[in-house]
Amino acid sequence: MKRAAFSSPWMPVLLLLPQVSIIFVFFYWPAFEALESSFYLQDPFGFTGTFVGFENYLTLFQNSEYLRISIFTLVFTVSVTFFSLAFGLLFAVKADKVIRGASTYKTLLMWVYAVAPPVAGILGVSLFYQGHGLITQLFGFFGHEFVIGVNYYDTGFALIAVSIWKQVPINFIFFLSGLQSVPRSIREAAMIDNRSSSGRFWTITFPLLAPTAFFLLITNITYAMFDTFGVIDVMLRSEPGNNPMTLTYKVYVDGFRGGDLGGSSAQSVILMLLVLALTIFQFRLIERRIHYT
Amino acid sequence: MTVTDTFSTPPAVTAVKVKKRFRVKRETLIDHLILVLGALFMLFPVVLTFMTSSYDNLAFAKSGLQFGWSDQFFENYERAMFETSGFTGAIDGVSMLTNSLILGFGFAIGKIVISMMAAYAIVYFRFRFATLSFWIIFTTLLLPLEVRILPSYEVVQGLGLGNTYTGLIVPLIASATGTFFFRQFFRSVPEELVEAARIDGAGPVKFFIDILVPLSKTMIAALFIIMFVYGWNQYLWPTLITTDEGMFTLVRGIKNIIQSFTDSSSVPEFTVGFALTTITMLPPVLIVIFFQSWFVKGLTESDK
Amino acid sequence: MSLRKLLAAGLAATMFSTTAFAETNITWWHAMGGQLGETVNKIATDFNASQDEYKITPVFKGTYEEALTAGIASFRAGEHPNILQVFDAGAATVIGAKGATVPVEDLLNENGVKFDINDYIAGVRYFYADANGKMIGMPFNSSTPIMYFNEEALAKAGVSAPKTWEEFAETTAPALKEAGYIPLAQSHLPWIFTENFFSRHNLEFATNNNGYDEGVTEIKVNTPEIKAHFTALKEWKDAGLFEWYGTGWGDNQNPFEEEKVAIWLGSSGSFGGLKEKVGFKFSATLLPYWEGVTKEPKQTFIGGAALFAMAGKSAEENKATAEFFQYLTSPEVQYMWHKETGYVPVTEAAYELAKEDGYYKESPAAEVGIQQLQLPAGEWTKGYRMGFYVQIRDVMNREYGRILTGETSVEDAFATIEKESNALLARFAKTQG
Repeated sequence: MKRAAFSSPWMPVLLLLPQVSIIFVFFYWPAFEALESSFYLQDPFGFTGTFVGFENYLTLFQNSEYLRISIFTLVFTVSVTFFSLAFGLLFAVKADKVIRGASTYKTLLMWVYAVAPPVAGILGVSLFYQGHGLITQLFGFFGHEFVIGVNYYDTGFALIAVSIWKQVPINFIFFLSGLQSVPRSIREAAMIDNRSSSGRFWTITFPLLAPTAFFLLITNITYAMFDTFGVIDVMLRSEPGNNPMTLTYKVYVDGFRGGDLGGSSAQSVILMLLVLALTIFQFRLIERRIHYT
Repeated sequence: MTVTDTFSTPPAVTAVKVKKRFRVKRETLIDHLILVLGALFMLFPVVLTFMTSSYDNLAFAKSGLQFGWSDQFFENYERAMFETSGFTGAIDGVSMLTNSLILGFGFAIGKIVISMMAAYAIVYFRFRFATLSFWIIFTTLLLPLEVRILPSYEVVQGLGLGNTYTGLIVPLIASATGTFFFRQFFRSVPEELVEAARIDGAGPVKFFIDILVPLSKTMIAALFIIMFVYGWNQYLWPTLITTDEGMFTLVRGIKNIIQSFTDSSSVPEFTVGFALTTITMLPPVLIVIFFQSWFVKGLTESDK
Repeated sequence: MSLRKLLAAGLAATMFSTTAFAETNITWWHAMGGQLGETVNKIATDFNASQDEYKITPVFKGTYEEALTAGIASFRAGEHPNILQVFDAGAATVIGAKGATVPVEDLLNENGVKFDINDYIAGVRYFYADANGKMIGMPFNSSTPIMYFNEEALAKAGVSAPKTWEEFAETTAPALKEAGYIPLAQSHLPWIFTENFFSRHNLEFATNNNGYDEGVTEIKVNTPEIKAHFTALKEWKDAGLFEWYGTGWGDNQNPFEEEKVAIWLGSSGSFGGLKEKVGFKFSATLLPYWEGVTKEPKQTFIGGAALFAMAGKSAEENKATAEFFQYLTSPEVQYMWHKETGYVPVTEAAYELAKEDGYYKESPAAEVGIQQLQLPAGEWTKGYRMGFYVQIRDVMNREYGRILTGETSVEDAFATIEKESNALLARFAKTQG
């Protein structure tokens, strides 16, 4: 920590007040409410309700559909994370290497960052449109009749593809800036040391990118689990049907569409615990790394 | 140790040299090919949407996205921007654009001001609950809004903030990303500056306004871009909290576009929808492109 | 300015403001988008123009689900509208919450508007009523599933519209397939092929008098008749006699409009839109039934939505709401709504008016919905009342989709629907106690 420079007793309180009060009202209070209502079954209008203990949680664990959604969420998260990281890295390595047109490529590969997930969803809807969507036709050309909204796996594929597309730029930006911060001397030494460029990449560059990659791993998991809401909501057009969905979307479907406040809150709490675990994992790893270096 | 790159080609064997040059060239070509494909992959869906927004509805209904240019461009954009709907006529492209701007600016400015203040307190003051405050703020990084969305909605509604800009913006600020960004930056500011300021007799307020804020200009600009894009692109929260048509943002309007796509009571307004989609994308994309270096700096330094 | 002029101006201003003040404003949240929304706006504008004591403002709130959610949330925050449109699947939620609404029957009686439930057409009367037959919600956009068909396609195949599913399977469908059409599509499996399947064949849908009585209700969906129906559907689909385009309404309606599908089951409320959109000659008739299940097919019940007067409003505002309901149910307004949208008129008087006006001579298909609602009633045809029904429909949609894509068997799907629905119903019962 930096040495403290000023010591006014009321000044820091005043400075922190806006942030802390917003956090209390809009963060702790709702989080606490979620926890509380996960133990109740409540009439949506708020007239009547019953305390049910852990029943909302038990119902979820006994529900085979919740398990199925969890499995899809896992597949979804792993695919989106892996492919968007892989594409981001590939483009970053190449953009770092070329001399001609580097900045043009950079711009072209990063601007999608600014596209909102639901807008990406709209693009997905039109590309995967039943019958005459461009990608639908492409699949048709290769002999697969692709029907979004009907075939569970087709819909899953479309959701994953659009989510990857939206996430590539941020990974690209981070990897590129990671690569460019590798000191010139190391690069030149590596060139002398290692014959093939791919060998050079895996032995020298990749380890240097590891901290970035690790940070991005967490960011991408969070993205896939939570920020893809807009993509999913738009692409499913608010009709869950027999389509795949993520756990976050399920919170919305049960809570807002269905008015099941208790069940939805219990799902929220489960997600909170999941994020908590993820964060602890992240910090322990960072701690260890700091410890050994 | 073998020498193998274009940098230090040994002068002797020309045959090898030619071969190598050829290899290098081919490799560069492949690099470019990958990059071009990548750029097309990112660009293509958007370009098609943009092109289709110049056609009439029937074109999309019949054969999907269009590659080309038609004559409905101005009409579609005019309708997207100025055609009102709703009983009160309170909703059109202009009102949604205004709301999006209010959300983007309000969120970015609010977040910067509030998190700068908090970060200043944490870094430059020694006080009793410093550690506690730090942890209170820190825990907000754990839970994305999506997870506590239902109770957040109830709290905001309960406070009577539904359909207000306050209710739209303030709950989004309740996360500590900005605070951490500035905390990181303030800690990298040389200690001598504070010392010098104290010797000159500058108090905490003077130091903050006269020295720290000007020093943080680039960081503020960088964070502003990221936060503006983040605020502009919010979907779930505005969808829930604004039910009043006059409060809709452009991204919230996407929901109505999709509904009009699936509405079976009349011919779906596909291409006007695509025009509005393009309008929704444009401002944040332009900002990111034009202020690229700030944006990249802000992004890569805020999250480390 | 002279004193007199000033006084006059002041007086005028006061008078103006008092007249403005005396006008009672009420709001109406609805889920009618597109062309339907415009008709809603027209009704409101006309009502406001018809008198100067009350002013109603309709607000479009998105889909049915979103409108209900917004209504509930606003009620909890004390900022609810006077009138909330709630769809069929949300009826149990809003009627179950006793303090949330003022029963429309009470509202009208208290405000001196004559009310007689028998003025309403038969199929409409009790769907939004409580167990004792008291009307709680005012039926508004009432529709019922009917069968639309492409007349040219049927002529080409040399068949007429099927009366029974047996006829469809044996005669109609193979001929249509031969003629190059996909014979059948439909737009809402839970509504058309479940809820109204039970009504059309007069089968018990749920315990407790289809859920209208108090207590923990159990759904009776895992029964041989409906399982046989879905088994047939799957066989038809495999044989190219039926196609399913997903859960979205429009995805299934589009192929009919594009003349790929010859027969489409949709809402009687789809009539207005179809008439505007398609170029070919189409007509409509009653929903087919299985002769093997019943020889006396019964009426179907309404879908669509009703208007609920929300509680906690002042007497003046309630009076305004009652006046608006009176206006809304007047024969002229109902006839206009019926003509513009295709939804059925909810009162006998409006139906008579439409007949007198010769509307059905010029477009007979518009009468099908109302005819079907007036078929003989049976023990199980007045409706159903189940809580968390939005989720129950989601479960049905999911499992039906899996049947049709071959991911599950009919047997397993219905066992799952029964199990999950009953779990939801038991949970709902706990929210009410």
